[in-house]
Amino acid sequence: MSLEYRLVAFLALAMSLLYMDSRYDYLDRVRYSVAYLTTPVYWLADIPTRMSFWIDDVFVSQRDLLEENTQLRQQLLFAQRELQLLAGLASENSRLRELQEASQAVQGRVMTAEIINVSNDPGSRRVLINRGAQNGVIEGQAMLDAHGLMGQVEEVLPLTSWVLLITDSRHGTPVQVNRNGERTIARGSRGDAPELELEFVPDTADISVGDLLVSSGLGQRFPKDYPVAEVTSIIHDPGQPFAQIRARPLAQMDRTRHVMLVIPDDEAIVGPAMIFDATTDVVEDVPVTNLPEDFSPAAAESQPESQPASQIDAEPAPASNPVAGSAAQDTAGGIQ
Amino acid sequence: MIPKANAIWVILLSFLVAYLLAIVPFPEWAMHYRPQWVMLVLIYWVMALPYRVGIGSAWMAGIFTDILEGSMLGIHALTFTILAYITLSLHQRVRLFSSGQQSGIILALVGLVMTATYWIKVITGETAQEGMFFLLGALSSAFVWPWLFLLLRQLRRSFDVH
Repeated sequence: MSLEYRLVAFLALAMSLLYMDSRYDYLDRVRYSVAYLTTPVYWLADIPTRMSFWIDDVFVSQRDLLEENTQLRQQLLFAQRELQLLAGLASENSRLRELQEASQAVQGRVMTAEIINVSNDPGSRRVLINRGAQNGVIEGQAMLDAHGLMGQVEEVLPLTSWVLLITDSRHGTPVQVNRNGERTIARGSRGDAPELELEFVPDTADISVGDLLVSSGLGQRFPKDYPVAEVTSIIHDPGQPFAQIRARPLAQMDRTRHVMLVIPDDEAIVGPAMIFDATTDVVEDVPVTNLPEDFSPAAAESQPESQPASQIDAEPAPASNPVAGSAAQDTAGGIQ
Repeated sequence: MIPKANAIWVILLSFLVAYLLAIVPFPEWAMHYRPQWVMLVLIYWVMALPYRVGIGSAWMAGIFTDILEGSMLGIHALTFTILAYITLSLHQRVRLFSSGQQSGIILALVGLVMTATYWIKVITGETAQEGMFFLLGALSSAFVWPWLFLLLRQLRRSFDVH
């Protein structure tokens, strides 16, 4: 009976594929090209969601629209007022930095994207977005929503990309407490709840419930000073060497559909040497005139919008492996 | 005598629908309960047409799953191959079972394959180790099997796939 032979042959084939994919990166190119085949499947799977959005758009009364419009206008007004204040602060900040001869890479522009699918493996938290290599997405790019940092691009396909969320248990985000600058690593929790755990924080550290955690920019993967999470619980167990601190991500991980990818600036792309170059003329490079996020469908193309007071010290991250990336962040955050 | 193969599009379409159901977004809490549609469809066709859908087809279905999910190439190819082999060696007996007994077999088979997939994923660092909740997927698979079986059998008979 040839059944057993076929079994052994196909098992061997699968195992050699596994070995090759884990050791070498020839197969990345195969995966990249085959993605043209899988993208239609995702497009089909996304139809119900798009339909519901379409229905929401079409069957809405004029009164609701007008109401929403006035509300949005008001919000825009408030936001613009705050931006004006921010512009002043940003230029003041950069002047101070210049005085100190510290580096200030100019803040990034953003590209809008939509989440079109979620990984169906409960053990990993990844999402698929509708931007790929053809839109200029690169590996390691940071993804944000309107409220905070969401994750980083893990795998770039021609028309889509997989993004590893910061709540994935394999992902570590270098953060600092906004109140006092205490640095630590926020790792995705291993449990079912999409939370973050602060690792290796000594019991004596000055962190309290409600503290805002912002990205520290260490690890050179994420832009600095984006809000990441809020501390929700702290447990001091005398039997444990470290405090157990949990935090809730500020980004709306499972509700939002519209996200932004931070485009690293040309200066930053040149190479890591530029990061320590203090000669950039930063004062003129902070034009804050508009709202950073524009979610209208017309703006779906990558739109070079400026964003306030966020400095990019991240280079576009040549390291491809997310595990290696988080390991690098570990070492970076370990310098406390 | 092996009859002439026909209506391959019925098989392909059923797999396409299974892939769609496998990736349609679920809310977070329901993630573990998602039935393993691709495995179920594969088991059905292996049982119904063992001379047509066998280890090779299972391997292909697995590779496509890997590419679709963006997981490491070969994980699902490996486990689906094992699934097809076990199904092939059991199919003559399982065909005669009542639907309740069949569901029991499905529970064991899907549970086994999911466990194997989970182990490989943990070993290769694809996913984090977190309890055995994923086996709830095997339970829901066993639950939907009788209806899926009737549906696919109806499909196979009305298009006379053999």
